[in-house]
Amino acid sequence: MTIEELEKKASEIRATCVQMACDGRVGHLCSSMAYVDVLVALYHGGWLKHFPAEPKHPGRDRFILSKGHGCTALYAVLADRGFFPVETLAEYNRETSCLPNHPCMHTLPALEMSAGSLGHGLGVATGMLYGLRLKGSAARAAVLLGDGECNEGSVWEAAMFAAAHKLENLLAVVDYNGVQAVGKTDEIAGFTSLEGKFRAFGWAARTIDGADMRTVMETLSAFPFEKGKPSVIIARTKNKVSFMENDVLWHYRVPSEEERVKALAELGAAPIYGRKP
Amino acid sequence: MRRAFSTALCAAADRDPGVVFLTGDLGYQVFTDLEKKHPTRYVNVGIAEAQMVNMAAGLAKEGFRPIAYSIASFMTARPFEQIRVCAAYPGLPVLFVGAGGGYAYASSGVTHHAGDDLALMSLLPGMTVAAPCDPAELIALLPQLLELPGPAYMRIGKFGEPAVAGAEPAVLGRARLMTAGEKVAVLTCGEQAYAAQEALKELAAAGVRPQHYHFHTVKPLDTAALARIAAAAKTMIVVEESSPNGGLGAGVAAWLAAAGAGTKYVRLGPPDEFFFGGPARETVTERHGYGKKAIIEACRKAWVG
Repeated sequence: MTIEELEKKASEIRATCVQMACDGRVGHLCSSMAYVDVLVALYHGGWLKHFPAEPKHPGRDRFILSKGHGCTALYAVLADRGFFPVETLAEYNRETSCLPNHPCMHTLPALEMSAGSLGHGLGVATGMLYGLRLKGSAARAAVLLGDGECNEGSVWEAAMFAAAHKLENLLAVVDYNGVQAVGKTDEIAGFTSLEGKFRAFGWAARTIDGADMRTVMETLSAFPFEKGKPSVIIARTKNKVSFMENDVLWHYRVPSEEERVKALAELGAAPIYGRKP
Repeated sequence: MRRAFSTALCAAADRDPGVVFLTGDLGYQVFTDLEKKHPTRYVNVGIAEAQMVNMAAGLAKEGFRPIAYSIASFMTARPFEQIRVCAAYPGLPVLFVGAGGGYAYASSGVTHHAGDDLALMSLLPGMTVAAPCDPAELIALLPQLLELPGPAYMRIGKFGEPAVAGAEPAVLGRARLMTAGEKVAVLTCGEQAYAAQEALKELAAAGVRPQHYHFHTVKPLDTAALARIAAAAKTMIVVEESSPNGGLGAGVAAWLAAAGAGTKYVRLGPPDEFFFGGPARETVTERHGYGKKAIIEACRKAWVG
C-alpha cells in the first residue's frame, strides 16, 4: 500500500472505532484511536507477517495488544485483514459477542493473548521470543503498550530481561497519547522521559511523530534500530478528531449521535462495517 | 527435596526438549547440573517474579513446558496476578514450584512464610495444586505434573526431608494410601505425612491403628477417596501446614458438609495468623498443635470417642 492508501485505511479504522464505541455503548475510544496509524502500518504496511486464513501459522509475527482496553482498533484491523467477517464488529461489547471490551483469546482465537490487566504484554512477548529463538525461528514480536501502562513495574522487569537476553526481534511501541485514566501521563511520571528510561534499560529507542504515516513507516523499516538490542518506538499519537484530542474525558465518553456524525465528518471516512451491499 | 527436584528436573529436561527452567534468582548451586547440561534452558530471570511468570506464559504459548521456581511466598503471593491473568486464564501449561512452602522458612519471618500458598493457588480455575511429602514422591509426581494440559503449582520443601513409606505409589490427583487401618483416618498433605507416620508407629504399639491417606494433590481434591474414607471412618483428622482458609482442611470440611457424611472432622494446622519475629518451624508446629504429639493425642481421642 502507498502512504496515501495507508492513511486512508487509518481513517476508516478510526471511523470504525467511533462507530463501535456508539454501537457497543462503551468508551475507551481514545485508547484505540490514538495508535491506529501504528497498527495500520504494522498490519497493512507489511511489517507484521500474518496469515488470516491460518491465524496460528508458525511463521507469523506475534502481535500483542498489552493495553487491552484499547481493543476496538485491533478488532477493526483484524476484521479488515480478514481474520473474521467485518460485520462481526457490529456485535462489539454484546454479551454473547466474541469481541468483549477487553480482548479474550478464548472467544477470539486469532489473538495471541487475552488482555485487560496492564503490564503483562511485554513480559509475555519476551517469553515467546525466547522460545522462538530456542526453536530457531526468526519470527518477530510487536507489543503495543500504553504510556500510562508504563507506570507498571512489570513493564520494566520485562524491559530489563529483553535487553539482557538481546531480544532484537522485539519491537515495543508505546502509544504516547499523553492521557491516562485520571490524569496526564507526563505529570504522573514526574516528567521523566520514556525514551530515556528505555535507553537506560538497554533498548534502542526512538521518539517519533506517531500520527504521521510516512514517519511511522520509515521508522518501522529501520527495525531493529541497533543490532543486539530490542527496539522501542515512543509514538506521539493523535486521535485525529479535534474535540477528542488530549482530553481525559474521551478516555471514557461514548459519543452522542451529534458527536459521532461530527467525528466521522472530520475523519472523512466511513466505518468498515454496516455498509449497504 | 530441592536436591530431588533438581535431579528430577534434569531428567525431565533430558527427556523433553520443551522443558525450560526459570528461576527468580534462587537455588544457589542447586541447579548446576541442569545449567551445565542445558544452558539455554536454564534461565535466571532475576529478582523479577512478575517477569518470570509472564515470560513462562510466553514460552508455554510457544509450546514449551516452562517450570518457574522461587521461594513459595515469592512464587505465589507476589506474582499472583501474573499467574492468574497470563497462565491460568489462558490455561497454559506452566508449572510453578514454590520451595520452602508452608512454614519451612519460619525463622526467616513473615515475608518468607507461605502458609497461604496452597490456598492461593487453589483459588485459580484449572490450577492443579500438589504438595509432595518427600523426595521420592516429588520425583514420582514431577513427570505427571509435566503431562498436564494446564497450569500447576507444586509446593516443595528445603533440604533433608526424611523418606515416608507409602503402601501405594503416588498418582497425581489420587489420595495415596500410606498405612491401612480402621475407625480413624488421618489425612495429610505435604511434609506433614512424616509426622503422621511417626505418630502412627507409636499409636500402633498401644493398639490404636488409624489409617493414613496422603493427599499430595490438594486440587483437584480426590473426592472419590474421601467418599470411601468417610464410609469407613468415624473421624477424619486433617493435618496440614496451611492456612485454614483454603488448603486440604478447608476442602475436606466443605466436601464433608456437602456430602452430609456423618464423619467427624478434626483439623490440626496453623491458625489464620501472622507469626511475628523468627520462630523455629518446630516451635510453630508445637505451639499450634499439628506435630507428632498433637496427631497422637487427636487419634487417641478419636479412637475411643
